[in-house]
Amino acid sequence: MKRRRRTEILIHGSQKLSSQLAENIRQNYRIEVIQSPENGLVMIKMRETSQKSLFYPGEVFVTECKVQIGETIGIGIVAGDHPELAENLAVIDAAFEAELPETGSWAGLLEQEEQNIRQQRDGARQAILKTKVDFESMDVQ
Amino acid sequence: MGYVAVKGGTIAIEESIKRLKYERIQQGQAIEVEKIQAGMRGLIDQVMSESSLYNEGLAALAIKQAEGNPEEAVFLLRAFRSTVPRKHYSRVIESGEMHVERRISASFKDIPGGQILGATTDYTHRLLDFSLLKETDKIVQEWLHHYHNEGAGGETGPQVLPKVVDYLRQEGLIPPCENNDSEPDDVTRESLEFPSSRSQRLQILTRGETGAVTSLAYAVIRGYGALHPTVGELRVGTLPVSIDHPAGQGNNDEDAFYIGEVKVTEVEMLMPVTVEKEYGKKELEFEIGYGLCFGQNETKAIAMGILDNCLEHPNNEFPSHNEEFVLFHIDSVESTGFISHLKMPHYVTFQSKLDSVRKTKKEEKQEVTTG
Repeated sequence: MKRRRRTEILIHGSQKLSSQLAENIRQNYRIEVIQSPENGLVMIKMRETSQKSLFYPGEVFVTECKVQIGETIGIGIVAGDHPELAENLAVIDAAFEAELPETGSWAGLLEQEEQNIRQQRDGARQAILKTKVDFESMDVQ
Repeated sequence: MGYVAVKGGTIAIEESIKRLKYERIQQGQAIEVEKIQAGMRGLIDQVMSESSLYNEGLAALAIKQAEGNPEEAVFLLRAFRSTVPRKHYSRVIESGEMHVERRISASFKDIPGGQILGATTDYTHRLLDFSLLKETDKIVQEWLHHYHNEGAGGETGPQVLPKVVDYLRQEGLIPPCENNDSEPDDVTRESLEFPSSRSQRLQILTRGETGAVTSLAYAVIRGYGALHPTVGELRVGTLPVSIDHPAGQGNNDEDAFYIGEVKVTEVEMLMPVTVEKEYGKKELEFEIGYGLCFGQNETKAIAMGILDNCLEHPNNEFPSHNEEFVLFHIDSVESTGFISHLKMPHYVTFQSKLDSVRKTKKEEKQEVTTG
């Protein structure tokens, strides 16, 4: 599973899953934290729709962590102040980058979590769509 | 009279700061930051937008410290922001990726995906709800439980909706436009110089003080400007934010780090303009004024769209079309900071002016006496 998809699942999914996957790696490998979770900013680059040019609407406060497993560096970064999640994300990223055998069995867990997220979003979507306007034309006398 | 340098006031200042704390907590109750975050969405969105820093928790903390005063909260967050390192730039966010929570058009009744009201005060009666005096956590939790059960089994649909402007472009009502990937300027890194770039204007407008941006846009519509705008599309929703691998390992979307989402309001204002075509033929077309800001700040985003279009068409007849007038006066920290500094001691400069006035008066008196 590619990084963009798995990081979205791990960030929006239950934090139990990221803790469980990272713990799995911690039990089997020596993990060196090369950058403890620390706060930083990510400047957003946005395309406006009038002239389709780029501009900066502002920054997002993030937590970032870097770990090393063997020769492989993993990065965890998440919006907000979430040191534990950032470290777990870094461990999981390093595991995927190093192609550790444990990651082979993670696809199913991640896909299941993705399904849970989708169900939650569908529920929220249904509630929002109750506010969709149903126009009725009035009779012309 | 000679000038004498003075010092002092240290103890008074310390006691004043203590007094400030006393005013904040004098009723013997502490307001939890979590409660502010849970219940003051509008103020949090305004503060995040004006400080151009997205984090609801920090905004709530700033609001608590500032006792709910937005100008002070924005000042606090801007100051905090300057102490935190900027580590990355996001991948380019296309607003078509927005997970829409609200979406309306004042120009077209039938838009692809429909008009979705979402959460809005537009149709409320603006009567004070005295039942909120007795609202408790238990009451709101019961209401939420009921609401979540009610929502199940309704209509489903895509979270991502087509843009009205894309439809208008396909119809030829708005001139076609290619992506411009030039790197934007950043007013937080380099001071503004005139003429400004489009990216500088949009950045200053989006972090502008809500009231200032709204007032100037209102002035435009009242006649101190040359525009007749309509809301083409207004959206509120979340945008996904991702960054490329810092070590440059793969620069495609699939290899990027997803980091979370930000809630924004985006507006495209439609301005009818007459353009001259071949052989002097005149045709009516639409131009777009663009507004986007953090959080649900609809009035500000609409106002930003109006001012964006004004500044695209400089016109010395109207201050609202003058980029120096608009961009130098809408920033919360700059404007409130300057006005506020007038409270600071100006003893020497004022004494100098006083001396001049006394001297003039004395000379006038002598002239009258001798004349």
